[in-house]
Amino acid sequence: MRLDRDRPDDEIPTSSMADIAFLLIVFFMITTTFTATRGLDFALPEDDDDPPVVEKEESVLIEILPTGELIVDQDPMRLHEIIPYLKPKLERNPKKPVIIRPDTATPYRYMVEVYDELRQGEDHGLAEPINISVPTQREIQSFWY
Amino acid sequence: MKLKATIEHKPNIPTASMADIAFLLIIFFMLTITFEVDKTQVQLPKTTLRYEIPKQSAYVSIDPNGRIRVSDGNEQSALVSAADEVLSMAAGVIAMDPQKVFVVKSDGDVQWEKVDEVIDALKRAKVRDVYLLSDQRTVTDG
Repeated sequence: MRLDRDRPDDEIPTSSMADIAFLLIVFFMITTTFTATRGLDFALPEDDDDPPVVEKEESVLIEILPTGELIVDQDPMRLHEIIPYLKPKLERNPKKPVIIRPDTATPYRYMVEVYDELRQGEDHGLAEPINISVPTQREIQSFWY
Repeated sequence: MKLKATIEHKPNIPTASMADIAFLLIIFFMLTITFEVDKTQVQLPKTTLRYEIPKQSAYVSIDPNGRIRVSDGNEQSALVSAADEVLSMAAGVIAMDPQKVFVVKSDGDVQWEKVDEVIDALKRAKVRDVYLLSDQRTVTDG
């Protein structure tokens, strides 16, 4: 005699697993933001109450006007002309400080442009990284001429 | 003539591997996720050089109207009224972790005076590593 038993399937129900997994994916996709997480490093020198005195003629002063125009050692200059101007000076003295001094009303992006350009000194044939200094207004008032 | 009974196939979509793929994607998102601590909308300045900023860095953001927001890297950023508050917040963060990296996220059109105040506050708080958040400059940017 043949018994016709109703055997249950020996299977693990996995059909809903994908649903749960995709639900989690949707959550992570919504909460993930691929934002700009890159930038220029800007190492701050220690806030020294008695900083070394830099003579005016020992350094190169880059002033940035509110219009974005650059005045390098009293002469107007374009951004790409700065490195060729600095090259002979830095070959004589690689540690020569280059001071960026934006006007208080200068848009921030002009300062970043100049800083970015100076940071690429080695790519433009300089032997050493440029000794860049960006004094704050407080430092200028406290320690400058 | 006896016709052979046609064998009926049960329609079935193989879904067993779907969960594998889904979990693979989940693992990818779990590893790459970074919860944004500052959602200030700014037009970042563009630079050629850009370095990866360490995760969980503290943020100081300046929006186009000059409003400053600060975050220690764990909490959502909060509005502060003056740069002096940046100093007290940064000093607190540095006291807990002297190696903490700070990110200045400022709109490119903000006047230097405003950014200068923030950088000065970070300097006074003895912050050593600061990153200026930027977008990539391309050849078309001139």
